[in-house]
Amino acid sequence: MLNLRDVCKKFGSNVVLDHVSLDVNKGDVVAILGPSGSGKTTLLRCAGYLTKADSGKLTLAGKEYDMNRISSKDLREYRKNVGFVFQNFNLYGNKTALGNVTLGLIVSQKMPKAQAEEIGKKLLERVGLADRMDYYPSKLSGGQQQRVAIARALATNPDVVFFDEPTSALDPELTGEVLTVIKQLADEGRTMIVVTHEMEFARKVATRVVFMEDGEIVEQNTAKEFFENPQKERTKEFIYKSSTWSTAASEDAAVEETV
Amino acid sequence: MNERILTELIESFGDLFMAALKVSLPLTLASFSTGLVIAFLVALAQIAKIPVLKQLVRVYVWIIRCTPMIVQLFIVYFGLPSIGIKFGSFTSAWIVMSLSIGAYCSETVRAAIESVPVGQLEACYCDGLTFWQAMIHVIVPQALRTAFPPLSNSIIGLVKDTSLAYNVALVEVLATAQRIASRTYDYFWLYLEAGLVYLIFCSVLTVIQSKAEAALERRR
Repeated sequence: MLNLRDVCKKFGSNVVLDHVSLDVNKGDVVAILGPSGSGKTTLLRCAGYLTKADSGKLTLAGKEYDMNRISSKDLREYRKNVGFVFQNFNLYGNKTALGNVTLGLIVSQKMPKAQAEEIGKKLLERVGLADRMDYYPSKLSGGQQQRVAIARALATNPDVVFFDEPTSALDPELTGEVLTVIKQLADEGRTMIVVTHEMEFARKVATRVVFMEDGEIVEQNTAKEFFENPQKERTKEFIYKSSTWSTAASEDAAVEETV
Repeated sequence: MNERILTELIESFGDLFMAALKVSLPLTLASFSTGLVIAFLVALAQIAKIPVLKQLVRVYVWIIRCTPMIVQLFIVYFGLPSIGIKFGSFTSAWIVMSLSIGAYCSETVRAAIESVPVGQLEACYCDGLTFWQAMIHVIVPQALRTAFPPLSNSIIGLVKDTSLAYNVALVEVLATAQRIASRTYDYFWLYLEAGLVYLIFCSVLTVIQSKAEAALERRR
């Protein structure tokens, strides 16, 4: 469904993406993991045409796009078919929750307001915010804001939704409600690419895991294989270090129980 | 103060007030609205990095900000006729004051636009909006809110600056006071009264500003 071919990006002399290729099938939930600075967010931003790649090709639903140059007509068509959820929500401060979801439909898709609002209300209900439609972003919690942002990304019913660390800016207490919504979308079979640091989420919700470091994909596999049977030393180390603390903590708890 | 002066002040107050209402206020509103449009175009030209235009507007802001308004007024009203371009008093003042507001407020507007998180612009792009659609629907409305207090400052300043148009034969508040005083020689009282009229108009604007700010605050 979505294929990225040989994506390259440099910031100055710093190589951030080095010929990265990625294939995403319909219904896949791809979790991109990796240490900070590995290029995973840049990859997602390039795929969303928010950062211009130096080179690379992208195919969505059979149509090929150049990642370095794109006509505004192609870009408009492409953006209708993808949704993007940001780490910092980026809700429009001058629009209500409903206004945030419908703006793109009304202004870009030229949809009549009433029809757009009908879609917007349904989406906000789906993310559990039926009672918050008329609230401005500043009156919503971080978790609620991110759920509005998810509803907004779904407005055009896109083929793929990109999530850039959707829970990194949230209180630990609020990550659950956002991850639950993303899981619900996964269960409905929506195709998603999620850059995340939430290992549990990747383990339980993702169908595939991609591990990146230094601008390259080090390893990719099904989620189950990735966590249970990592192939590369670096991947093993990453999984081990990411889970050591919680494992150690639960072992401590187990010891205490036996004592 | 004797009874004669008191009667004179009461009689002249109507003249000064009407001069403010019929000349100074229209000049303020006309110059401010034109100036604000210029300010937004200048700010957006800089933010959108439109080549050539971006440099041109910089030169414009530089020249207007670095020359006195009264010199600009003299150039337009007394100078331009010598090369065959003639404007009346009101039109001259309107042109100069619009250009002045445009230059000063463009910096206010630019800063306000840049204060809206850039992520919202990116979100607009993802929603399929163009740069200009994003500006109109999302960025500028929020920038206006931020720019509101400094812009209010500018309009209050402009009410007082309209008195400069006295020098290009515009019969506004100060000129009206001057005319009456030159007949009665009560300069002290008439100029005090002119000051009072400006004070009243600017006070009303100050009240409007705080009411409008409270109303804007409720919509976010």
